[in-house]
Amino acid sequence: MTASTLSLEGVSRRFGGVLAVENVSFSVAPGEIVGLIGPNGAGKSTLVNLIAGLLRLTSGRILLGAADISTAEAPEIARAGIARTFQTVRLLKDESVLDNVAIGFHAQQKSPLLARLLALPAALAEVRATREQAFAILERFDMAGFAHVPAGALSYGHQRRVEMMRTLALRPNLILLDEPVAGMNDVEADALGRIFQGIAGEGIGILLIEHNMRFVMSLCGRINVLDSGRIIASGPPAQVRSDPAVVAAYLGA
Amino acid sequence: MTLVFQQILNGFVVGGTYALFALGFTLIFGVLHVLNLAHGAVFMWGAFVGLFTVTSLGLPLYVAFIAAMLAAGLISVLVDLVAFRPLRARGSPEFAAIISSIGVAQILMSLAQIASQTQVYRFPFGTFPIVFYNVLGLRISLQQIVIVASVVVLVALLLGILFATSFGRQIRAVAISERTAALLGISVSNIHGLTFFISGALAGAAGVIIGIAFNSVHFLMGEPYLLRGFVVIILGGLGSITGALAGGLIFGMVQTLSIAFLSSALSDAILFGMMFLILLVRPSGLFGALHRQVRVVRQ
Amino acid sequence: MIGFVSSLQPLGELVLVNACLAFSQYVVLRAGVFSLATAGFASLGAYGAAILAARHGVPMPLALVGAGLIGAVAGLVLSVPLSRLRGVYQAIATLAFVQIVLSLALYLEPVTGGAMGMNGLPRLIGGWELILVFGVIFYAMLALSRAGIGSTFDAIRQEETVAVSLGIRVVDYHRLAFALSGALGGLGGGLMALRNYSLVPEDFGFPLLIAVLTFVVLGGRVSPVGPVVGAAVLTLLPEIARPLADYRLLVNGVLMVLVIIYWPHGIVDTIRLHLRQRRHAVSQAAP
Repeated sequence: MTASTLSLEGVSRRFGGVLAVENVSFSVAPGEIVGLIGPNGAGKSTLVNLIAGLLRLTSGRILLGAADISTAEAPEIARAGIARTFQTVRLLKDESVLDNVAIGFHAQQKSPLLARLLALPAALAEVRATREQAFAILERFDMAGFAHVPAGALSYGHQRRVEMMRTLALRPNLILLDEPVAGMNDVEADALGRIFQGIAGEGIGILLIEHNMRFVMSLCGRINVLDSGRIIASGPPAQVRSDPAVVAAYLGA
Repeated sequence: MTLVFQQILNGFVVGGTYALFALGFTLIFGVLHVLNLAHGAVFMWGAFVGLFTVTSLGLPLYVAFIAAMLAAGLISVLVDLVAFRPLRARGSPEFAAIISSIGVAQILMSLAQIASQTQVYRFPFGTFPIVFYNVLGLRISLQQIVIVASVVVLVALLLGILFATSFGRQIRAVAISERTAALLGISVSNIHGLTFFISGALAGAAGVIIGIAFNSVHFLMGEPYLLRGFVVIILGGLGSITGALAGGLIFGMVQTLSIAFLSSALSDAILFGMMFLILLVRPSGLFGALHRQVRVVRQ
Repeated sequence: MIGFVSSLQPLGELVLVNACLAFSQYVVLRAGVFSLATAGFASLGAYGAAILAARHGVPMPLALVGAGLIGAVAGLVLSVPLSRLRGVYQAIATLAFVQIVLSLALYLEPVTGGAMGMNGLPRLIGGWELILVFGVIFYAMLALSRAGIGSTFDAIRQEETVAVSLGIRVVDYHRLAFALSGALGGLGGGLMALRNYSLVPEDFGFPLLIAVLTFVVLGGRVSPVGPVVGAAVLTLLPEIARPLADYRLLVNGVLMVLVIIYWPHGIVDTIRLHLRQRRHAVSQAAP
């Protein structure tokens, strides 16, 4: 899959009379980890849902490479190469870990509908191949031992890992991480952080939405700070940290 | 032309009773956000209690009316206890609530079938005096006047309870957000019980009225009303009180006119066709209430 | 002994017919579509098959295929507007469809025979034909589970937002579910028509809708074995326990409440989940 840059150009979203996101522009290049931080209600989740195709833009546009994806529906955004995780882990709790990862390969299925309806050998072979690929991802993340465990029975940290593996199964060029380490201790968070760095090292862009300042500062090359729907600061961690506007927003001045 | 006006008048009366039935149906959806498919069975039991109060106990009709409302209200509370409360404790989705209320409806119908030995009952002749008046060339029966009057009184009572008492304020608070209501110190489960009681009492009243108007009470009588009740509450918007009133009147008019001038089989097709179209074009109903449950598209 | 066996045969046939209808309900529920349209599809298929076979002398297999096609087309047409709705709204809209079909069957007397229905239909389907049709359908349902469509349905049902974020085109799958449900419902209706001698519109009303829904709720809506078990239990129970026959409605109601409260996944899927959890417990204890 050819890597391409995600760019937001003057993106706004209005709910009733309230501008939840106002004139936001930034970009995420392949292999880059960009942070998006801001206090509660700053519009971070709205922004993720705008990119992921769950919310309609009021104005502005979103590009992936040269393609305008501002109005594409969520499945097409995923197929264009943008994967995401959710603020609260969302797994198919009754299904096994392996099945949870295997479903991530859905968009890559090639056998025609009729072949799958009739369970023709070609379709069955594809299902088997998918499961093998899913298993390979499990092995890479040291989760092969849990392959047949119902996902709902795992610990929180492991569930986060399964969600991460599922997004990788999509073979994305870009991943939106919506508060991935919320509720984790520092050790768990750092373990996950190393995984993110590995993923970015493969040329996948990451947009990291987080509350945990320490975590964001340690991972991101660039950080955008959102407050009341607007970007109030943007730049490398050190610069953002000392920005008076950021300090004010975070201390609730 | 007189014929048309006569049918419109009849439609108005029929619509009032449908509204009465549908009010309780929509009230539960408005407050608890579940469909109570046992509402038709509660209505049927109201009719039976009214009937037995008149026939077995020999009490006057107004006593039967009150007895039916109380009994149906209590049965409705039982429906809540059996079908909905265990699911609420578990946080189950709407699918489970629909299934369990269908199950309770079947239990209630089966019990009525056993109690009535599958017979069709009638109110004894003379329970209600047959008197007709001529007003501006239209025939109006005393029965129709009393039906309309009782619908008006009950609706006024309902609105009074909902909008002028502290119970009503609590019900509306729970309807908006159970969590906030609980934080405000409202006992959510008591309010649920109260909502079911009011809903059942309205259904019981409708049961007696229908039982007298059509002079027939039997264990299957709830089903067609339940199905048509859907049309009424969809026309008016799920969960909307005023919507159910307006929906009931529209329903009564369309039904009466289409039966009079087309055919009764076609009448159902038209009514359910109307509901189908409303669901596609304006799922929140003609008078717009809540708007939930749309598929995952950009919003 | 022979008397006993011959009394079992019509019962067995009824189980198979009910299982076909149950599959129609199963397919949509598994895909997270709350459609109650099966009774309407069955009505269309039944009248279609009866008219084809009895009035136009179409051979039985073709009449059945016709019934399935009519249902599939109806399902597909219905899916276009209904894939926009969700939950109770979808349920109520499909309920309207069932009622519309029912009242049209009453109204279109020249075609359907109106309230009197169609009588003196040839009995073209017996035990062997039923077993064959059931076998084909059951294979198709297994295929659905094995070749990935089933797990896509499962994903949509459990977490629709996740499904779209993985590139699953939910609308397409809901259309597929509607079309399959229509085909199976139509086929089930065709089977009813070609072995019942007669048809009336009320055969396909609210009681059938409830019955079919009960089969799937009781049996389970993930494994294809579920609907068969549900249909078998609810069809056979009143016959095996004779005293229960008079209280069929009561037994159904009590079962429905108990199952949805205590075994919300249905008999088969609850057992499957339980076994999986036990296996998992064993495999964790092993190393």
